[in-house]
Amino acid sequence: MKRISLFQSFGAGILTLVGLISVPLYAATNPMVEAEASASVHAEMPTQHREFFEKYCTECHGPEKQKGKVRLDDISFRVDTLKKADEWAKILNSINSGDMPPEDAKQPENSQKADFLEALSQTMVVARKALSDQGGNITMRRLNRREYQNTLRELLGVEINVGTLPADGSSENFDTVGSALFMSPDQFMLYRELGRKALDLSFQMAWAESKVQKHHIEPELEVSQKMEKDLAYWNDIRKRYRKWTVQVDAAARAPENGKLVAELREKTKVTPAKFYLEWEKIGGAPAPKDFGFSDAIDANMMNERWETHVPYLVEYLTQPKAKTGAYLCAANIQRWVNAHVPDQWPAGEYKAKVRLAATKEAPEKRRFIDFVAGFPSNQVLSSHQVTGTMEEPQVLEIPFKLEAGAPRGFMIAEKSMLGNPDGFSFHDILFQEGYNANRVGPEFAVWIDWIEFEGPFKTAQVAESLAKIRADLERLQSDQTDVRRYLSNFAEKACRGRKLDEDFLNRLVGLYEARRKDGEKVQDAIKEPLTVLLASPSFLYLAEPAEQGKPRLLTDLELATRLAFFLWSSPPDDELLRVAAEGQLQKPEVLAQQVDRLLASPKSDRFVRPFVQQWLGLSRLDFFQFNIRLYPEFDLPTKANAKNEVFETFAHLLKKGDTLSKLLKSDSVVINGLLAGYYKIPGVTGDAFREVSLPSGSPRGGLLGMAAILAMGSNGEQTSPVERGAWVMRKVLHDPPPPAPPNVPQLNRLSGKPLTTRERIAQHQEDAQCTQCHRKIDPVGFGLENFDAAGRWREIDLRPGVPQKRNAIDASGVFFKGAAFKDFFEMRDLVAAKPERIAAGFTEALIEYGLGRTFGFSDAALAADIVEQAAKKNFAIPEFIHALVASTAFHSK
Amino acid sequence: MNTNLSRRHFLRAAGSAIALPALESLGFRAFAAEKIMVQPKRMIFLGFGFGVTKETWFPDVKQVGSGYTLPEGLAPLARHQNDFSVIQGLSNRYSQDAHWGSTFWLTGANRFAEPGQSFHNTISVDQAAAAKIGQETRFASIQLNGGDPGLVEHHQGHGPGLSLAWDAGGKPVAGLNSPALLFHRMFSPETMSLEKRQAMLAQERSVLDAVLSDAKTLQRGLTKSDTDKLNEYFQSIREIETRISKDEQWLGVAKPKAPIDEPSAKLHGKDEVKLMYDLMVAAFQTDSTRVFTYRQPTESLVASLGLKVGLHDMSHYAPGERMEASQVRDRAHSGLLAGLLDRLKGVRGADGSSLLDHTCVAYGSNLSTVHNLENCPTLIAGGGAGIKLGQHLVLPKNTPLCNLWLTLLRGVGVEAERHGDSSGVIKEIIG
Repeated sequence: MKRISLFQSFGAGILTLVGLISVPLYAATNPMVEAEASASVHAEMPTQHREFFEKYCTECHGPEKQKGKVRLDDISFRVDTLKKADEWAKILNSINSGDMPPEDAKQPENSQKADFLEALSQTMVVARKALSDQGGNITMRRLNRREYQNTLRELLGVEINVGTLPADGSSENFDTVGSALFMSPDQFMLYRELGRKALDLSFQMAWAESKVQKHHIEPELEVSQKMEKDLAYWNDIRKRYRKWTVQVDAAARAPENGKLVAELREKTKVTPAKFYLEWEKIGGAPAPKDFGFSDAIDANMMNERWETHVPYLVEYLTQPKAKTGAYLCAANIQRWVNAHVPDQWPAGEYKAKVRLAATKEAPEKRRFIDFVAGFPSNQVLSSHQVTGTMEEPQVLEIPFKLEAGAPRGFMIAEKSMLGNPDGFSFHDILFQEGYNANRVGPEFAVWIDWIEFEGPFKTAQVAESLAKIRADLERLQSDQTDVRRYLSNFAEKACRGRKLDEDFLNRLVGLYEARRKDGEKVQDAIKEPLTVLLASPSFLYLAEPAEQGKPRLLTDLELATRLAFFLWSSPPDDELLRVAAEGQLQKPEVLAQQVDRLLASPKSDRFVRPFVQQWLGLSRLDFFQFNIRLYPEFDLPTKANAKNEVFETFAHLLKKGDTLSKLLKSDSVVINGLLAGYYKIPGVTGDAFREVSLPSGSPRGGLLGMAAILAMGSNGEQTSPVERGAWVMRKVLHDPPPPAPPNVPQLNRLSGKPLTTRERIAQHQEDAQCTQCHRKIDPVGFGLENFDAAGRWREIDLRPGVPQKRNAIDASGVFFKGAAFKDFFEMRDLVAAKPERIAAGFTEALIEYGLGRTFGFSDAALAADIVEQAAKKNFAIPEFIHALVASTAFHSK
Repeated sequence: MNTNLSRRHFLRAAGSAIALPALESLGFRAFAAEKIMVQPKRMIFLGFGFGVTKETWFPDVKQVGSGYTLPEGLAPLARHQNDFSVIQGLSNRYSQDAHWGSTFWLTGANRFAEPGQSFHNTISVDQAAAAKIGQETRFASIQLNGGDPGLVEHHQGHGPGLSLAWDAGGKPVAGLNSPALLFHRMFSPETMSLEKRQAMLAQERSVLDAVLSDAKTLQRGLTKSDTDKLNEYFQSIREIETRISKDEQWLGVAKPKAPIDEPSAKLHGKDEVKLMYDLMVAAFQTDSTRVFTYRQPTESLVASLGLKVGLHDMSHYAPGERMEASQVRDRAHSGLLAGLLDRLKGVRGADGSSLLDHTCVAYGSNLSTVHNLENCPTLIAGGGAGIKLGQHLVLPKNTPLCNLWLTLLRGVGVEAERHGDSSGVIKEIIG
């Protein structure tokens, strides 16, 4: 059987692992290697590096002298204890920091030092990993924030905001890794608060009328009236200004003012309106105050503003459909249309239907709208392409959630005209451009006929949950059931089949009875024990108790729970529970069927998004703001859609059973109208993501051509080849660079000079401490330099100050100790030729996410099996999931 | 169940035993009654995450002792130069994570000390102090965090953790994220009657008993690592029990009147820091707590200074725009700290001594500069721990930072044998 080691590095086989020998994987001469999980996996510094010690270290740290009580001639190269790891860490640190060898001692050559440092850094990564290996142990975990929210939704039919709970997970761990999910006193109090909130809402909704309501808004009713008023206001200003200036002119004509007026006219001949600023000097001229202006400056300014305001307003009012709908404007007169949901409507799932059209004149890039939450958040909730025409308007359906107590106001505006960071105003620019061209303003692009709110909609599942809540409670109220049985039934569902201990149950009953004694009604008193239950360990922890502390196989019910949380981030549904109860779930074919069923459900989105987000580290995209002045097209809606592209692509491949290799290179992309515009791919309209074939020679298709991935490898202004290169090494090539070492002296020699990105980063080659990693990372990053910070294709790098003859992009390079490429396309082909690498990284991520524990050496055999099984099916994505779910590890505590 | 009850009885007994004398020595009463009495010791730990601009923050190593020239980065503190000392040469020897400015700052722990785990931490110095000097106040200690979104996930120069504080088991202690929350915790008056609150506390105990009962059932058959996990739950419940015991001790004592106005809920960056500092002084004035940690905002601070350079880019400064931004940030930090020292000096007791005379302010980060973890920037202000002030000390390279923490602990009267990886106290700075 062919097993592959997953822990080699790209170039050199520098590690020796007992039972897991590292060899360059895909070399033609690859010997077959048995990769067995073994407790004795350890790191070993390759012995050839003893020579480095002998040459540069042992004179002071050897048999004769042991400066600083450090002796290196007899140091063990096998790094298998924490103590040895700490010693070696110290050695690495002192060489990295430049302290050793001391300045006055013999110095190794740069490349020699870099090789030594590289080997040692890698050895330390292996050593730390081996020493922190959990040996396949899965730590019991509590529900993370997402799972907690989902579980409450399934149980109580309501969705509550869990944003007050501390965030789970970090850049180091998936948010399912039990050992990194903590509990604190404040958190316990929060669970009670949130649990109570969910129960209040659930009970309220269970008794509420479940009628779907409608609320219709004709925006012109508000808009036209406002416009007419506005027009009257401005015309009055103009009238008053005219009156005033006519009277000033009349006074100016008086003979005694003759000389002065001639001087003033001469002084203001460039801007004649400035003449009126001098009114006080002119005998008999009336004060602007008498005409309703605070002073002459105010009068002139208001008159000037009339020019940029009224023609656009008149233009608006004379638009063909201004009386039957509302046009969105670039200027403040009508930048957005308000839409208010009636205050008394309950929380829930709603739909906004919008009948709208793009005008004939609308340029392509202005055929989009944003659906925006009103004051105070002003957040863009979703963006939509407008495909309707004035002859045939479309009805857009926008689903949205209304939270209890949240503001009811919403707005519709052209894309990016509201809610930009930095207070940057696209609309000002747009208006100015239009006004400069025609002295009126830009064309009107989008017309809105009406808006209709509809809801609340209950999914069948929510309706069912609420009906059950109500029926159970009514039985309790009418004494058809006793409180003990009520609580016990509720708990069994809430705690995923776990039966409560008698003592706990008694105490919960006691809490209820105490409340009843205080005079509370049944439906109020019962909330207390339920709240406590929803903060209890039985509810919060996914417990799989061992037998006498030993590993064992999961029961059917436990397996169902683990599977549902893996693929749905929520508890098992009735069908899964039924299959488990019938004892069928352990049968391989039944289990496989259930995996397919779970993946086919829309709920699998709760796997796709959090998993892909964490696997690929996409949260970095939200980490910094893009400089909107440099990248106006990469606005917030575009950024959000670019991120969705990653999820949608993965979901599409998963659904089709397609291969993971398509993430490396593909002749199609999964995009919507907005992104098609951004990528300049013609013929795609609408908000829905779909597979679109690419023209030949397109750099898109695969992760390396996705705007989101490329934008993450920047700081919002400039590309970062280091960030991009390291990302590709980590996620695509499965050869993660060691963590950035501390205490390396910084290179500042060339700072302050205008340099191309390549010149700037070339400094890394000067110093062995930097070279050891950057010689691998940087070439990959340079290969992506044809994409600017926002992921658009470019041929030149417009860095300020860099002379033109140096700024043409050169994306050629050589993989360290590997193949050369002349441009991005060749680099992508080289990467795409090794799908095993991304498969290995994907598998490790899947194991970590699915089993809820960090990936360790003891998982090597499991990972190798999964990759091997998936390889047989050309790395079809569902195969990985099937293989993991079928594994013994997935079935064991 | 029995053990649970007896522990609780002990807590109660211990509570009532210390409650009365403690109340008499309350600082705020001392001020009110204008009586001369021994002022309690207080501590503040301020961690700013990403390091400093090396060239302009550290004093010249050739000028040691008093009368050294304050470098530009510390210049805003000039008026307080005699009230603080800058100490160089301190490091946490186990720290290796070059973007973690706070995770091990107050603990000195070895991340890898526990076999089979990739993360391990130990108690932080503030919690070690609070266990002793926090007994007599309504809050044993208060942890504060900057309100930056993304702090937990992206660390933003601080590293993993929920605040600067780590409990006795090395687990993260959660912190309050805004001045408004802190204000309400300390000063919002109780709206309920005493009887009602007593009844509520009793009910609260039944709730805790209930979940403890469940936890004990769950514990049966768990593996060691699962038991460790569940212990966090037990620990949380116990802490709430302790809080309730404290609440009971304090039932008859109304929350103090706030000496400052309620802060707005929307404060970011430097405004947040200033308000948090004001509230710390208010907390000491009313003796609500004696131990603070504050994991300061990084991203929002930089934004509030109008700096356009990204946080991480700034930490990797090089001459030019990035270095200038880094220096602006350093000076802003120092200016804010100077404001805190002003206010601590401004509050005086009947004996004429100021709050600062009895408070130890530790200010710094585990990150020195860029990716450097050696020579952690360290500034100690105030007379609380009895160390020499007005000094610039250069200790031998890589002196354990925990030696300083141990010195401070002893200085405020905590008889600790060691802290973290300490090898002893720093005799040179004991005043």
